[in-house]
Amino acid sequence: MSEENRKVIVLACSGIGKVYGLIAREAVLKVARELRPDAARTMCLALLMTDDAEAHEIINGATCITVDGCPKLCAAKNGALAGGVVAEQVRVVDLFRAYRGVNAGTATALTADGWKIVADLAGQLAEKIDALRAAGTLEEAE
Amino acid sequence: MAAKFAVLPCNGLDKPAGCVAREIGLRLAERDQAALICPVLAHAAAARYEREAAALPAIVIDGCATRCASRLAAERGFKVAQKVVVSDEAKKAGRDLGDSLRLSDELSPFIDELVTALLAAAQAAPAAATTPADEGGAPGEQGGLEYDTHIKDKFIFRVPRSGFLFNENDCWLQPLGGKRARVGVTDFVQQSLSDIIYVTLPALGTEVEQFGEIGAVESAKAVFELVSPAAGRVVAVNNALLTNPEFVNENPYEKGWLAEIELTDLAADRDLLLDAAQYMEILKRKVAEFHV
Amino acid sequence: MAEAEVKVGIISCSGEDLAGGTLSRLATRKLLDERRPHHTVTICLPLFLAGGQEERMFARAFPTITVDGCEKRCAYKATERLSGKVNASIVVSDIVGKEAACGCPLATDALNEDQQRMVELIADAIEAAFDKAQGTRKAAKIVD
Repeated sequence: MSEENRKVIVLACSGIGKVYGLIAREAVLKVARELRPDAARTMCLALLMTDDAEAHEIINGATCITVDGCPKLCAAKNGALAGGVVAEQVRVVDLFRAYRGVNAGTATALTADGWKIVADLAGQLAEKIDALRAAGTLEEAE
Repeated sequence: MAAKFAVLPCNGLDKPAGCVAREIGLRLAERDQAALICPVLAHAAAARYEREAAALPAIVIDGCATRCASRLAAERGFKVAQKVVVSDEAKKAGRDLGDSLRLSDELSPFIDELVTALLAAAQAAPAAATTPADEGGAPGEQGGLEYDTHIKDKFIFRVPRSGFLFNENDCWLQPLGGKRARVGVTDFVQQSLSDIIYVTLPALGTEVEQFGEIGAVESAKAVFELVSPAAGRVVAVNNALLTNPEFVNENPYEKGWLAEIELTDLAADRDLLLDAAQYMEILKRKVAEFHV
Repeated sequence: MAEAEVKVGIISCSGEDLAGGTLSRLATRKLLDERRPHHTVTICLPLFLAGGQEERMFARAFPTITVDGCEKRCAYKATERLSGKVNASIVVSDIVGKEAACGCPLATDALNEDQQRMVELIADAIEAAFDKAQGTRKAAKIVD
């Protein structure tokens, strides 16, 4: 198994209609490109849902953390459907309970507070990835 | 040709009866009018067959008394028009299904008889279906209620056709019998607010006046304080909303109810309330200004 | 310009794996927020694919424009499959070039000036497609 394929796939819904979708998207980009570039990678959710063969091959059996904006859980459901092993499911909307009254921005652009939420969420995702590695979940398949 | 009914077989692979159920499903699916539902996919991805569940009467085919397909149909909100349990039918017909998971040709006439009977019934009474539990449903139906709908862009606004009263503040009251009634927010509120994150429930025993405050729902966009449609005393609250506030979005008139009150005098309060048709007109005016 | 009468649905990819996804998303939001705020409706692609009733209903009934970050054209394929017709298909790599579109994934606050101009160009293309879908003629835009 290549190094790339041993990474945890952080799968965001990226829903374009709500700020939660944007936060999901930015958080997975941050964790895959900044916080844990050696241990995490992103993937286009739409590719899975339009049956892209290459994407399906990558995700099949791979450990995933899904980050959904809202309770519809498009990433979690479709990541599992495509064969990903969803080790953790995150809903951004739940995170907002800790940020009551905060204006995070819109589906187009985040406020400074919105970016703080992104940083918080990305940090949580990084910790989850570390825990998965520590548990040996990401070891090379036989 | 558009499908006229959905077919949900159990697809049980470890028993001959399950294999027969699958075969019945496949033979029904060969008809243009049938939409075949994969039970594994329906289980793994709830949203996948939402449209079929909402729009089509379903033929549910179970292999045995475990009734996996029936349970799945209930979970996913399918409108079950016909059910068949293969092991029961085999017993009635005096048929031995054998031990092999590979279907023998001898079973084909038995399978065809069941398929023919199911098709005949489907064509005779396509609308005779039990209502789905709780979630799901076409724009005109959700759970056990029937709704009138108003659509703007991609947003569907539902108003229950009967059994509810409304105030102009977009709150509803559903008399339950005796002096009790439930209260909640309308579809307009949950669509306007988008994802509800918090629900503030009134305390038990609270005395509330007509048009007094009786809780709140909150999203990242705004806080909406409920204005009680009638006077009364709070006797029950929907604690499920504390852990699942999204119930208000999913089904504001049923599982998204907020509180139950013991009514003080509904007859006196009734003059200031609206029925479904009256509220729909107000909703349409508000929706004309609606922009998400 | 004549008042637009028919709403148009825009289905955009937000592909997380390359820059084209960010450019698609931002250009689409520009139409929704600034250029045609009362006449466009966004359709959430994952929800659309997953069976979102409101999303699919709208796409069946109204004109649609798909905006894709790359040649895989997920938004176009999904819309064609699920609603039967696409009025216009915009592919970001056709407008800004494959290299730019397939570059590293971009955070929405990390665009440089060139990339911001690309967003404007893509938005121009969507706007032109919108006007065509509406049947109106837009005056030629003068670009510095």
